[in-house]
Amino acid sequence: MIKSFIGSSVTGKRPLVKKEISRGFYSVMGGLLLWEMLTRLLLENELLIPPPSSVLRSLWKLALSGQLNQHLFATLFEFVCGFSTACVIGILLGYLMGRYRWFDDLMDPWIATLYSIPVIAFVPFIIIWFGIGLLSKIIVVFKITAVAIMLNTAAGVKNIDPTWLELSKSLRLKPWENTYKIRLPAALPYIITGMRLGVGRAMLGVIVAELMAANAGLGYLLRDASETWDSPKLFVTVVLLAAMGMGSFALIKKGEQKLAPWRETAEW
Amino acid sequence: MHGIIKFLSILGGLVLWHILATRIINDTALLISPLVVVVKGYEMLFVTADLYPHLYASSSIFLYGMLLATLVGVPVGFVMALSPVLRDYLTPWMTALYTTPRIAFAPVLLLWFGIDLASKIIIVFLGCVFPILINSFYGMRVVSREFVEVGRSFRLSRGKLFLKILLPASVPFILAGLRLAVGRGLTGVAIAEWFGATEGLGHLIFFAGQTLNIPILFVGVAVFAILGILGFQLLKVIEELASPWRKELEVR
Repeated sequence: MIKSFIGSSVTGKRPLVKKEISRGFYSVMGGLLLWEMLTRLLLENELLIPPPSSVLRSLWKLALSGQLNQHLFATLFEFVCGFSTACVIGILLGYLMGRYRWFDDLMDPWIATLYSIPVIAFVPFIIIWFGIGLLSKIIVVFKITAVAIMLNTAAGVKNIDPTWLELSKSLRLKPWENTYKIRLPAALPYIITGMRLGVGRAMLGVIVAELMAANAGLGYLLRDASETWDSPKLFVTVVLLAAMGMGSFALIKKGEQKLAPWRETAEW
Repeated sequence: MHGIIKFLSILGGLVLWHILATRIINDTALLISPLVVVVKGYEMLFVTADLYPHLYASSSIFLYGMLLATLVGVPVGFVMALSPVLRDYLTPWMTALYTTPRIAFAPVLLLWFGIDLASKIIIVFLGCVFPILINSFYGMRVVSREFVEVGRSFRLSRGKLFLKILLPASVPFILAGLRLAVGRGLTGVAIAEWFGATEGLGHLIFFAGQTLNIPILFVGVAVFAILGILGFQLLKVIEELASPWRKELEVR
């Protein structure tokens, strides 16, 4: 009786998930088909909205000429460098802010100000100070991500469950063990949330910096395409950026679900 | 005590900045003292008064974009929460729009709508709409089942159930979404005005950046920071007034 009940609930659940995915798939396919047909039938000119097929062709051409690799690599490199340094320094400073109240008070006014200034208002400064090369983009990514991670790490360290601290005391953990085994793991879900918030903003920042002054990267490609009125190329860049955004978002979301499975993360 | 440390931190930072600018770097093309920024800000506000047209242009774009985002985001969020079928169909498109860096859409929108007000408002709209939409969605989804059951046992019609129970219960979420939207909206304003604008705070910043006019650059960024902090705090106050029984309900 019980067994059959469980069995039916399991088999009853599987088509539900599948339905969700298949509906999403139909929606995307239908949308693309509609887009292709409308642009083919209604528009003489590809300037305003190129059909998906010519976007694909443009993507293929870019990939063959090796430009795609070069630009994608440039942006990803800047992103990874900035993001990883931001993680290290953000977690370190955030931990100190969560641990010591005076350090929190010291940093708080500046962090709050930095956080509330729109990402892209910073870019002119960073270009003036650090030039138009790789370094300035890495610093843009670093600044944006570090602030988000710092704030969240501090919140995580502050909101630790007191019973865990008591446990650490009764086990007589050494101070560094207390940090590595109790406080940091407790703050991990918060840190991941900080990373998720940082990713989107940092990506915006790096694209803005590349748009403003660069000789490689997806932002540069975007600018190049829009200045030469090459709409298929423009759309290719938008699609690439969308893929990058979605990919990094999915990655972080996976990490968040693994490290903090009790928390219901945003579906988007 | 904590207030004193914060105050000292601000004061110390400003003094350091001043010393760094006047004694160590000593190059007005790279960094200027905070005193110069304040003087320049005062001048632009009260002497030449040339900040106001920019402020007016930016705030009108911002307000229109926020209004449009609220008018679209709240109903779409509700519909997606109430109808699973529509949610499944809309989700892939929403994910794509939400996770793509917004700046990618700016050239496309300019291509379609020109450099008019419309394209700028849409860029701001794209930034603001998702926090509002997502929060309305969650607000509607997490309405306590007990509330709904009470409504059912009073035999409320579907319309009444929506108006009397679902809508009021999700108001705090919507307000939290608006608060999150302020920051993204300001970024949207800066992006929108960067591409082909002749006035506005974003234009001011980028023009100053291109002509290496550091004082104006600092003033522009400071105004953005002040607007951001003010908007955030204002909505926080409204939120506390509208739903004093809830604190810290945000889905980011």
